[in-house]
Amino acid sequence: MHKTNYSWYILFPNHHQGLRLSRELKKQGLKNTIVPTPRAASSCCGMSLMVDSAELEIIREIIAEQGIVIEKIVKLPVKEGWQYRGI
Amino acid sequence: MADYRQMWSDLGMDLDKHDLLCEALPDAFQGVYLSQENRPQGMDFFNFVVSEIHGVRPAELIEHQKAGGKVFGTFCVYVPDEVIFAAGGIATGLCGGSQFWVSGGEKVLPANTCPLIKASVGARLDKTCPFFRIADMYVGETTCDGKKKAWEILSAEVPVHVIDVPQMKREKDIEAFQGEILDFIKIVEDFTGNKITPEALAKSIKLINNKRKALQRLYAARKAAPVPISGKDALLVTQIAFYDDPARCAEMTNILCNELEQRIQAKEGVFPADALRILVTGTPLAIPNWKLHHIVETAGAAVVVEESCTGTRYFEQLVDESGSTIEEQVGALAERYMKTNCACFTPNPGRIDDIIRLADEYKVDGVIDVSLQFCNLYSTESYLVKQALASRDIPIMHIETDYSEQDYEQLRTRVEAFLEMLRK
Repeated sequence: MHKTNYSWYILFPNHHQGLRLSRELKKQGLKNTIVPTPRAASSCCGMSLMVDSAELEIIREIIAEQGIVIEKIVKLPVKEGWQYRGI
Repeated sequence: MADYRQMWSDLGMDLDKHDLLCEALPDAFQGVYLSQENRPQGMDFFNFVVSEIHGVRPAELIEHQKAGGKVFGTFCVYVPDEVIFAAGGIATGLCGGSQFWVSGGEKVLPANTCPLIKASVGARLDKTCPFFRIADMYVGETTCDGKKKAWEILSAEVPVHVIDVPQMKREKDIEAFQGEILDFIKIVEDFTGNKITPEALAKSIKLINNKRKALQRLYAARKAAPVPISGKDALLVTQIAFYDDPARCAEMTNILCNELEQRIQAKEGVFPADALRILVTGTPLAIPNWKLHHIVETAGAAVVVEESCTGTRYFEQLVDESGSTIEEQVGALAERYMKTNCACFTPNPGRIDDIIRLADEYKVDGVIDVSLQFCNLYSTESYLVKQALASRDIPIMHIETDYSEQDYEQLRTRVEAFLEMLRK
């Protein structure tokens, strides 16, 4: 049976909050990547953080400890077999 | 999520049309960039810039304007940004690398105009690029006929100053370019209301040189095998350098380089040490034109250097910083800019010398000479490039393409065949 893989994205009300969390996670050795927010997660343009699902709990704790404001955490299926498409 | 719609609306942008662009970006960036393995962490800043490409920097430029500053939109590596920054202005690149804008340009330009010009004009006329909406003045140049006419069309929208780039490199041409820079100083002074002093110009020469030095360092890292950064990522850094604040760009590029140099020491790369190494030469690859690099690198070869305006031509030469008068500084600027080897010059042996030198320095296995469709200058010069490289047994293939996906599979087949030939 085909198993769907998922990516996890953290969305923010503004990029300042996103950059704060990215810095904090890096400081603590937690993997995260700044990415353009997928349309399936929000209709607004801007950055979000792609994080490892296994580290979500600790990331939630850091968010609470540091008082970082997030908008939401979104789980999206990884698209397989992407074909080149220019912008 | 940051909502820039109010800002874009205030800029008079077509929000519905622009939204189509916003919609396409995340998928394309995911497919081209985030699909790569083991990217340097230092690329995160550049991911950030792309994620907020029509938000953060435009907002900074608007703040600059609110404080009384001017923004100059530029299109070419022959425009001396130093002059603009010395007058307290900001120079920024303008949109022009996407198929999305081409149809807007075709409404007013002949279809057989290069996609860079069509996209630039389309981005302005379709109101889908914040940089085009923000810039108080566009600074054009005379590096091709298509652009020369495009300035006339754009000047109906925004003030345009055109710098007359000589077409030959005799002593009198370099002197003529000094005169162009002096004229440009006067234009910028009048437009900003700020006098350009030797002190201010010295400071901005250092500022732009520092950005060039950071990019030189990035490219030097690409000489290593295994190569510590993909060609796609290096291209993105150069593309962003046209838009970002120069000091911040230098700082973030240097941070990335620290990581790349550690990777080199650890012999860590993003391709195997024996992967084919490709030099791309030709016309500029403006953001978000990542097509050729994606084809080459998903076929297993690494692009290790670009001899182009979005590559070495942008940063290889530094401006002499020793001048203490405007005359001396303008002389140094003219000397530096006239060392850039564009196909608009006749003859242009310097570019061929550069390609051969870079092929050796970066230990490349082959060269891909890419011309944007209808770029008469680069397409014609490809004959001379091919002859020169063939005489030195450097394998080369010529590609003519545009921004669309229509020729993607055809190009992929051709590139794969070329790489296969190099492997034999």
